Amino acid sequence: MSSYFRKNYVLLITLSVIAALFVAAAQGMEKKDFVITLLRGLSVGSLTFLVASGFSLIFGLLDVLNLAHGTLFMIGAYIGWTVFVRPDTFVDLLTPLALILSGFALGDVYPLLATRIRLGLSVKRILPWALVLVSILIFGFILPRYPISIWDVENYGQSPVTYSFMADQGTRLLAPVAAFTEISAPLALIGLLLASIIGAFGLSLFNSVTQQQFKLNWKNYAGFAILLLVALLTFIFNESLTASLTGLSSNWLFVIAVLVATLSGAGLGALIESTLIRPLYIRPIYQLMLTLGMSAIGIEIVRAIWGRPEFVMPKPVFFNGSGGVCPATNFADWWANNCSTILLLDGRVRVYNEIFIPIVGLVVLISIWMLLQRTRLGMVIRAGVQDREMVEALGINVRRVFTMVFALGVGLAALGGILAAPSMGLSNAMGESLFLNALIALAIGGLTNYPGAALGSVLVGLIQQFIIKYGQIGIAIPFTDIIFKPTPPLVPASTVLLMVIILLILPNGLLGKKE
Amino acid sequence: MTQQINSRLSAFFSTHRAALFTLLVLILLPFIVGLMDGESPMMVFANESGNSKFAQGLAIEIFILALYALSFDLIFGITGMLSFGHSMFFGVGAYLTGIAIKTFGLSLPATLGLVFIAAIVQAILFGLVLPRVKGITFALVTLGLGSVFHIVVMSSELGPYTGADVGLQGVIVPAFISPANERLRFYFIALTILILVYLIYKRFVDSPTGRVCVAIRENEGRARMLGYNTFYFKLAALTLSSLTAALAGFMHTLYQPIVSPNIAGMGFTVTALLIILIGGVGTLSGALVGAVVYRLLDFGLRRYIGESASFISGAVYVLFVLFIPFGIVGTWKMKSLQIKQGWQRIQKLFG
Repeated sequence: MSSYFRKNYVLLITLSVIAALFVAAAQGMEKKDFVITLLRGLSVGSLTFLVASGFSLIFGLLDVLNLAHGTLFMIGAYIGWTVFVRPDTFVDLLTPLALILSGFALGDVYPLLATRIRLGLSVKRILPWALVLVSILIFGFILPRYPISIWDVENYGQSPVTYSFMADQGTRLLAPVAAFTEISAPLALIGLLLASIIGAFGLSLFNSVTQQQFKLNWKNYAGFAILLLVALLTFIFNESLTASLTGLSSNWLFVIAVLVATLSGAGLGALIESTLIRPLYIRPIYQLMLTLGMSAIGIEIVRAIWGRPEFVMPKPVFFNGSGGVCPATNFADWWANNCSTILLLDGRVRVYNEIFIPIVGLVVLISIWMLLQRTRLGMVIRAGVQDREMVEALGINVRRVFTMVFALGVGLAALGGILAAPSMGLSNAMGESLFLNALIALAIGGLTNYPGAALGSVLVGLIQQFIIKYGQIGIAIPFTDIIFKPTPPLVPASTVLLMVIILLILPNGLLGKKE
Repeated sequence: MTQQINSRLSAFFSTHRAALFTLLVLILLPFIVGLMDGESPMMVFANESGNSKFAQGLAIEIFILALYALSFDLIFGITGMLSFGHSMFFGVGAYLTGIAIKTFGLSLPATLGLVFIAAIVQAILFGLVLPRVKGITFALVTLGLGSVFHIVVMSSELGPYTGADVGLQGVIVPAFISPANERLRFYFIALTILILVYLIYKRFVDSPTGRVCVAIRENEGRARMLGYNTFYFKLAALTLSSLTAALAGFMHTLYQPIVSPNIAGMGFTVTALLIILIGGVGTLSGALVGAVVYRLLDFGLRRYIGESASFISGAVYVLFVLFIPFGIVGTWKMKSLQIKQGWQRIQKLFG
């Protein structure tokens, strides 16, 4: 016991100083202010944690500092918004997306096909490029002509801002249904399918063909068949699907939006890892630069599709009730009326922002913890964080685990994005500020330490919110009459300063292991 | 004796042919652009507005960027320390110059002295962090220091001094180097400073101290094993880098009518990273080439594409990382033999 104290006295002293500061901060304000500030801090902390945990998993296992994580958080928010506010666009997008992916689902078939075809050396060298070019040309011909009912960034009446505003008012505005006018439907569908297969075949030819023989069974075709089925079904039942989605209560639509955003985030993560990051494992510093470039590109893509103005995503009905007995004074009242606010110890608390988000954060914290501690995948991840080469030597396919962890991390960030959208609103800059928070939280907590990420995130959230609150009420400096009011710029500065101080005292963060 | 000198001179000229040619082009550039536009050299000397004056302005911006990128290459490319707070080095120089001249009315040499002292002080400040944190954590701590500086500059309390988010403006530049009326003089001064700094950097990298810096980049533990106290070498590199960046910031304030707070932000550090990535990390001359390519690309894209230019620069960035990781100069150094052979083959093909 005493040896534990001797080893960790710096950590313990730091933690007790932070706790003392926290108690001092609590003394200075009224009870209701304290409750609200505490809950707000936990809310910001939960969002930060969703970004930080994925980032730290990726950094721990892959040694990739994914600087595009904030941008991916933002992309998750925008995708979720699309599903929630414009289900018709989402349904329209399903068919072409499934068709484009279907060709790539046949991945294992192509090498076998390539060994069957005997070609001259010069043809073999040109063939992949030619196939990819043909596929790009077909895509370039069909995709701009494919009808998708989408918003118009240039036209204010049909911009995302307007759609969002109307959805918030309760009348969900829908754009006119897009019809096949510039291109016939069968031609578009078959063309997309063909282009996808040709492109995937071309890309697979770039890899040197291995001579190993393997047999194909139905599993190799299952993904392809499912995607094709999805494409056909969504194409045939497009209108009825749209109608049923728009008719759905906004609670269920929100659940669908969260699922779609998280899954597409995970898919995007897997795609990025397997195409862009995998060639660069031998040059770690270049991965960092690559992700930096990707984050710039991602922001520009979001600006091009959804426009620059900020807009707010409406909350689901479950958290948006008003009138009657609202604000509710106890949870039974709240459950009966779905009030948007609730009175806790005389403080008005917004249910979605300050209660729902921390609960989701806690659920994610526990489930990822279970995943890491109780499953085989978690065991591989923990072992990989400690010693990657050793895990590889034991015959585990680390590469597949890498892709899964990257997908998991980006999926968590996207989940954070869609959860943050109704409370923070959507803007091009929402990723950056939260990403800086997450970085600071990780540096405070320990870069590759999972509980450290949670502790750091909560600390960052609490400190920011307490300083914002003290900016309103002011701090009475003892023995003088001066009331010091921290200004808004001090909010980020304070957490950064905390990070620098903690890193100078404990170079590996609060809970990081010594190297 | 004279023969020996002659042979040495000719050897010097033949080995530095490309560099001397570039220097000549840069000296003649204002006049060549002027002649192409129909202005006589006398009109160029009189600083009449025209294409020549515009080209000089663009070139001065490139020189300043090149100085800044050189300073980043020294700590990232040569010594191997990834600092995300490098824009702070530039920003301190730029803002201190503006405040010293505008608010305190100091003379130019006094300002320059003040800027140099501040540069050394902040290098020591970064140096205090050095022995404790390494690698990624160093990047995070410098990112933190840099963003605190950015926030301080942007805060409204210091508005009267720094201009907050509008930017620092209204700095009265002494008439003899005013960029509006005496731009040609400014051009040659900037060119001279760039060449001098580049030569000093070359000398530094080739000196024993610079060699140890390269050894630290390759393997710090081994350098320490050989008996070098790596801390002092890192501090030397940081100080030189900080001085150069502050000098670039000093020139930036003198040249630009407004010092935008963006130069203190994270984006400007990324600019330096992008420049040396385009030119070639750790090559020094890559920083110069990269600055030219970057500024011209940026200028062209903003002119013809407009707002979404940063999409293209992001794409260029990713493509460079994936396909040309050693940059223009680095790839040229590696492949120059093959390129020369290919060129000879083409020459043979056409007779």
